[in-house]
Amino acid sequence: MLRKGVTESFGAAIHALGASHLTDGVIRRSKRMMLDTLGVGLLGTRTDVFDKALKYSQVHSMDFDDTWYPATHPSGAVLASLLALAEVTPTTPSGVELLLAFNVGIEVQGRLLRFSREAFDIPKRFHPPSVVGVMGSTAACAKLLGLSSRQCANALAIAACSAGAPLANAATQTKPLHMGYAAQRGLEAARLAQAGLEGNPAILDVEHGFGVYYEDYNPSAMTLPGVGGSGWVLEEQDVAFKRIPAHLGMHWVVDAALTARAKIPNLDVSQIKRITLKVPPSKYIDCAFPTTEHQARHSFQFNACSAILDAGMSVESFSKAQRERQDLKELLGKVEVHVPGDNLASFDKMYSEVVIETNQGESFSAKCDTFYGHWRKPLRQEDLVDKFMANASFVLSSEGAVGLLDTIGNIETEKECTALHSYLKLTTEQRDRRYGLRTWSQSG
Amino acid sequence: MSCLLQKAIRPIWSVKELHKSAVEVLKQPSPEDTVTASFGKFISEVKPQHLSSVVLHRSKRMVLDSIGVGLLGSTTDVFRLALQHSQLLYAHHDVSSVYGPEGTKLSPTLAAFVNGVATHSMDFDDTWHPATHPSGAVLPAVLAVSDMMPANGKPSGLHFLLAFNVGIEIQGRLMRFSNEAHNIPKRFHPPSVVGTMGSAAACACLLSLSPSQCSHALAIAASLSGAPMANAATQSKPMHIGNASRLGLEAAVLASQGLEASQLVLDAVEGVAGFSAFFKDYAPQHLGSPNHGDHVFLIEEQDIAFKRFPAHLGMHWVADAAASVHKNLVGFGPGKVTPAHIQAVLLRVPDSKYINRPFPESDHQARHSFQFNACSALLDGEVTVQSFSPEAMSRPELLQLLRRVRVEHPDDNPANFNHMYGEVQVALVGGDVLRGRCDTFYGHWRKPLTNESLRKKFRNNAGAVLPTDKVERLIQMIEDMDKLNDCTPLLSQLQ
Repeated sequence: MLRKGVTESFGAAIHALGASHLTDGVIRRSKRMMLDTLGVGLLGTRTDVFDKALKYSQVHSMDFDDTWYPATHPSGAVLASLLALAEVTPTTPSGVELLLAFNVGIEVQGRLLRFSREAFDIPKRFHPPSVVGVMGSTAACAKLLGLSSRQCANALAIAACSAGAPLANAATQTKPLHMGYAAQRGLEAARLAQAGLEGNPAILDVEHGFGVYYEDYNPSAMTLPGVGGSGWVLEEQDVAFKRIPAHLGMHWVVDAALTARAKIPNLDVSQIKRITLKVPPSKYIDCAFPTTEHQARHSFQFNACSAILDAGMSVESFSKAQRERQDLKELLGKVEVHVPGDNLASFDKMYSEVVIETNQGESFSAKCDTFYGHWRKPLRQEDLVDKFMANASFVLSSEGAVGLLDTIGNIETEKECTALHSYLKLTTEQRDRRYGLRTWSQSG
Repeated sequence: MSCLLQKAIRPIWSVKELHKSAVEVLKQPSPEDTVTASFGKFISEVKPQHLSSVVLHRSKRMVLDSIGVGLLGSTTDVFRLALQHSQLLYAHHDVSSVYGPEGTKLSPTLAAFVNGVATHSMDFDDTWHPATHPSGAVLPAVLAVSDMMPANGKPSGLHFLLAFNVGIEIQGRLMRFSNEAHNIPKRFHPPSVVGTMGSAAACACLLSLSPSQCSHALAIAASLSGAPMANAATQSKPMHIGNASRLGLEAAVLASQGLEASQLVLDAVEGVAGFSAFFKDYAPQHLGSPNHGDHVFLIEEQDIAFKRFPAHLGMHWVADAAASVHKNLVGFGPGKVTPAHIQAVLLRVPDSKYINRPFPESDHQARHSFQFNACSALLDGEVTVQSFSPEAMSRPELLQLLRRVRVEHPDDNPANFNHMYGEVQVALVGGDVLRGRCDTFYGHWRKPLTNESLRKKFRNNAGAVLPTDKVERLIQMIEDMDKLNDCTPLLSQLQ
């Protein structure tokens, strides 16, 4: 039986949300997300896949972008389409308008993810950014374009046609394209809705609508924050920012591996007999011998061994040279993976344990419940800024990087958001310069 | 742009990376043995000589019908919207022709998009079994890629047909991976699932990609597949075919540039869904090499249905059943059927919610309404393109009749285009009951349209947009397509 009203409520909410609804908490958190996303996006322009693919895919090219709970990478699809759209709207949006649209895009994703129990676990079927990302992108663009409630609802219906990429392409070069397409198709959907295209007015209500992407589906109406006790999802649930460009699950393993390693003074890696990893069940991040950089970013084994070998992890850890080291390959051969029954496939509940055993019969172990950067232990602002500067400086001059930093920091006061676009164009002369290769050697 | 699109002879990047340790080999089939690899190999190795005369004949009929409905579709609102959107949002890139408006060209992906939208805009395009609309997803992309290729490197008519048939074949093979696919769909709209894959396969073939690149094209396309059924019977439904065509093309071009994706996308992998994500039950099978000599294209085993009027396939059964009742009624008394004589109408049809609409409010809904199509045929003796005009839809006698319709779903009437039937029972005011039943409508694969009927449909459709001489030239060219050295003449007749 059709339950009407959910789609309508989304259209109405997207249309009605205004700057006055933005709280301090949401402003602060979303600015951090915008900063981080710009940085990883800029770094991503140096990748092979960026050369091959659509220009918006660079945000996810290294799996360095933010992660939320329930699981998705919320910012990439939204920011990319908003920045593009802001360059072509008849009047340039103000900073607050951009910030509001961004938050609408995040909020819609958060709401949609809560329509299903399945969404709360590490995914198996569809890659979440491809499901909710396009919806967030279209909501954000619809907001920026000032569409009516009806048009906003149509945008969501049209965007739903483009949702849903299978998980099998995770850990491949195509995964970043999911983000790119989510951004692009969301923008298109908003434009089509603006031109008058109509879709199913109950797209979110019915199981054969947005519900097709989930085994269990239970939608509910979207209310404005502050009405009936509900607030912005982002205020209730923060995001995680990554310290290394790898799947979120890797961060627990690296943290535990570094802690265990730190217990061994003067470690001779050749004396390691066995490394045992205790991880949650998730096939697409269980890769014993990765052969590409994409696989390496999705491999418990690789990240643990890399961390142990180098007593630290950085962007460089995934380079070809680093991946093909003989001692790393030997270490990989000594890894055993266990999946304890109490280790749940959920980014809110999982843990990682690393046990290093030596030929001398000694055993050193460490467990990580919450890595530094997780929403329970958020990055301090100075570390977030450091990450941004390191990333941005691969591509931008220091004037550009610092300019972006300042602009985002004060975005709500910017009359026009053109400054962002201008700073993004200030590329560095020295393309090979590496600004302070940040190495994560100890969890914060 | 055109330099990218020469017959791509690119280094096979992925082969270098394919070093697998012994442990991995034990756990997984070797890359060459996968279902995914077998599909890539087939697409890359199939040649024109593998096309039998039956396949050539049937696929030429599909090309003719698809162009015709696409041309008619270029007169619709949704086509205009899609065209304007493409012209406004994207930079000028006059490469590939658009159906209809003279001189209008777009970039290849957008031309494929817009032409795909045109093809499905009125639900007038072909339908296959298992259910999908195969040609609309493939032909626009093949046309667009052909336009892209340099003037001295255009495909011959035979190569064009080969690519087209590869696109159809791949769709058919993929649908056979699932029992769910055999019934009228409920979750994902099939053209959005297999259509994208077919388009990618066709373009990969036309671009002469290597086996590995063909596999990657499919894998990339999988990430671009899948739209929910809920947008059927709305203005957005034609977008599904448009997007399938466009995104399949993009996937093939990305693969030609070396982009890689999952090498197991078509295989069934526990815990990580690939193409299986779109189905509840999924059992993939290898595709044998065409060089073994025993490969039979699915279109030869299973013919296609062409529609006689622009509505969902299910409507054709009730329309034929109602038309036979109309004939009886007209034989009874005065030459016209009026609702005043009719007490009640009972439709006995399969259970499928998205085509059960008592009072459709738009032409899109009307094309997906058992009730509307039955009543139109009862009144007029047939359903035509004009039956869906605003005037026809708002006729008082039609509305009166709609109010008297009841629908039943007999247990022996499955929601399956190979097994369903349509029955119309009309109870007259005087007490008589007239019955009409249709098991196989004219145009169904069991009772295919004759060549004359197909050409008549084409003339009506194409003639709405093109002058008669172009219409006739198109008919002749497509008939002789396998003998064309160069498909350029075809490409220039579409506007």
